[in-house]
Amino acid sequence: MRVLVVEDEEKLAGIIARSLKAEGFAVDIAADGARGLEMATAYAYDAIILDIMLPKLSGTAVLDGIRQKNKHVPIIMLTAKDAVGDKVKHMDAGADDYLTKPFSFEELLVRIRALLRRAPSQREDVIKIVDLEVDRLAHQVKRSGKRIDLSAKEYGLLEYLALNSGRVLSRTMIIEHVWDESFEALTNIVDVYIRQLRNKIDEGHEQKLIKTVRGIGYTMNHEADT
Amino acid sequence: MNTRSIHFRLILWYSGLVVAVALVFGAYVYQGVRERLYGEMERTLMRRASQIAENILPHIHDVPPGDIAGQIKEVYSPEANGRFIRILKEDRSIVYISGAPKDGRFNPGAIPVPPGIISAKRTEQLAPDLTMRIVTVPTRIQGESYVVEMGAPTDDIETALHGLVMTLLFGLPVVIMIVSVGGYTLVRRSLQPVEDIRATAQQITFGNLSNRLPVATTGDALEHLSVTLNQMLDRLEDAYEQASRFSADASHELRTPLAILRGELESIVRERELPASLRERVGSVLEETERLSRITESLFTISRLDAGEAQIQHVRFDLAPLVQTAAEQMALLAEVKKIKVRIAGSPAPVMGDPSRIKQIVVNLLDNAIKYTQDGGDISLKVSAAHHKVILEVTDNGAGIAAAALPHIFDRFYRADHVRSREIGGAGLGLSIVRSIVQAHGGSIEIQSIEGKGTACRVELPLANGEAEHHA
Repeated sequence: MRVLVVEDEEKLAGIIARSLKAEGFAVDIAADGARGLEMATAYAYDAIILDIMLPKLSGTAVLDGIRQKNKHVPIIMLTAKDAVGDKVKHMDAGADDYLTKPFSFEELLVRIRALLRRAPSQREDVIKIVDLEVDRLAHQVKRSGKRIDLSAKEYGLLEYLALNSGRVLSRTMIIEHVWDESFEALTNIVDVYIRQLRNKIDEGHEQKLIKTVRGIGYTMNHEADT
Repeated sequence: MNTRSIHFRLILWYSGLVVAVALVFGAYVYQGVRERLYGEMERTLMRRASQIAENILPHIHDVPPGDIAGQIKEVYSPEANGRFIRILKEDRSIVYISGAPKDGRFNPGAIPVPPGIISAKRTEQLAPDLTMRIVTVPTRIQGESYVVEMGAPTDDIETALHGLVMTLLFGLPVVIMIVSVGGYTLVRRSLQPVEDIRATAQQITFGNLSNRLPVATTGDALEHLSVTLNQMLDRLEDAYEQASRFSADASHELRTPLAILRGELESIVRERELPASLRERVGSVLEETERLSRITESLFTISRLDAGEAQIQHVRFDLAPLVQTAAEQMALLAEVKKIKVRIAGSPAPVMGDPSRIKQIVVNLLDNAIKYTQDGGDISLKVSAAHHKVILEVTDNGAGIAAAALPHIFDRFYRADHVRSREIGGAGLGLSIVRSIVQAHGGSIEIQSIEGKGTACRVELPLANGEAEHHA
C-alpha cells in the first residue's frame, strides 16, 4: 500500500509519513502542488493526502488535475476548519474525505483505513470483543451473555468504540461521530458518557474494556488481557 | 422637559425675540395711532374754529348784529356733540360760550380762559377722568381782536387707545403660542436630518459596520457633520476588519504548528517502551495542546462570524425538534446531576444554519446544567411570536453576580475564575453564542439573580412559509 502526502509543511509531512509507515504503508512526500500533481499522475498510489494551501499549485487545482486522469484513487483533503463551502466544493470535485487541522493522527489513520476498506469489523453485524457482544442490527449489547440496557447515545458511543477497537479515539473524533459538530466545544460530554458506559459495561468485571489514554482519548481493548 | 436641549433653547430664544419684537411693534403702533387720532381731532377742531372765525364771527359787526349763537348752534350744535366753543374779545370778555353738553360731563363756564390772543393748542384737565383738548384761533375783525376756542373731550380717543392696548395685550399670548408651536415644528423639521443621523448611527453595530449615515445635502455644518461621521465609520470599519482579520489569520497560522505539536506528542505517547510517568506528562501536554486547539478554533469561529465571512447554511427548519434533539443528546449531563429538564415547544420556523443554531442550544443548555446544583430544574421553551422565534433557557441555579452580568459576552470573560476553570472552557462559549445569534440577525438577552437562577432569551427572525424538518 502506497500513499502520497502532498504537504508543504515539512515537519507535518514528516509526522504523517512516520505514522503511516508505522502502520505498514509506503509513503512518498511532495512539498508543493506542482510536484504533487506530477507524482500523483506518474505513479499508482493507493491513497493521496492533499493539503489545500500549497505553493505553486493549490490543492484544489491538484485535485482537479488528479481527477482528470484518475477517477478512483482515494483522496483526503487537509484544510482550515470552518470553510463549509470549501468542503462541499471539494467533495463535489472528487475528494473522498476531509480533515481539518489540527487533526488527530489516529483519526487520519482511521479515515485512510476506511477509504482503503481495510476495516473488516465494519462489515460485521455482531461485534465481539472478549465477552462483549454488540448487535448492530438490534442495537443490543450483552456482556458475558447478560443484556445491558443502554440509551441511544450510550449505544452509539459503545458501537463507535467497538468498531474501532484497538485504536485510540480522541474526544473530538468521538464528538464528531457520535454527536455532531454543534457539540465541538463540549468535549466534557464525552467523559460523562464514558463514565456512564463504564458503569454499565465494565463495573463488576475483572477485565476493563474501556481504557483512557491520557492526552488523546479513549480506546477499547480488542483482545483479552494476558 | 429637557431645558438644556437644543430644541428648548432655540424655541426659548425664538419666542423671546418674537415677544420683544411684538412689544416694540405694539408700542410703535400705539404711539402712531395716538398721534394720528389726536392730530386728526386737532385738525378738525382747528378747521371748525377757523370756519367760525372767518364765516360766522365777522357778522358780529353787521347791522343789526348777526345771531352768532344761533348760527353756531345750527351749524355745530356743540351741546349735542359734547363740544366746547367759546369766543373771547381782546379784554377776555366772553362774546359767546356754548352750553353745557347734554350728558353734562363738563361745565363750559369753568374752563379757564387762554393766556393770550394767539394760536395755540392746550389740554385742560376738567375732571379726574376727563381731559379736553382745546385749540385757539385768533382773528381780527375791523380792528378788534377775537379768539375762537374750540374743544373736545379726549376720552373717545383714550377709549380707542385703551381698546388698542387691550387688543395688543390679548394678542400677545396667542402670538407666543403660535410662535412656540411654529418654532417647535420648525426646529424639529430643521433638526430632522440630525435625528435621521442619530437613528442610523444607533443601528450600526459591528455586524453591519459597512452601513453609512444619511448625508444631509444641506451644504452646511450638518452635511459636514454627516460626511465626517461617515469618514470616521470608514476608519472604524477598516480598523475592525484588520482586527478581526488579524485574529482569523492568527488562529489560522496557529493551526499547522499545533498539528505538528500534536502529531509529535501522539507518536511519543504511542511508544511502547515509554515509562508510565513520562507517558502521563506527555499526556498532560497533549491535553493542553488540545485545549489550545479548541481556543484557537473558537476564536477563529467568532472572528469569521463577526466579520460576516463565515459561510453559514441557509435553510428553513423548525427550531422546536432541534431543541428536543439537542436536549436528548445531552440528557446524561443533566441526569448525573439529577437535574430535571422540561421542554415546551411549539412550531418555530427559522432560517439559517441548523448546526450553528444547535450550537446555541447546546452551549446555553450546557451552561445551565453546569451552573445548576444537583436536583435543580431547567426549562427549555421554544415559541413563535410576531416575526420572531423565541428560545428561552431558564434555570434555578447559581445565577450570575450583578457586577459580572454586563461582561458575560466578552471574550475570555469568566464570572468566577476558580469555579469556571474547574468546569472547563475558555470563556468563549457565550461569545460564540452571541456571534451566531447576530450572524442570524437575532438578539440574545440574559437576566440573572445570583443564587436564584438565570434566564437566557434568544430571539431569531421568524421564517415565512413551511418549515422543513432538520434535527
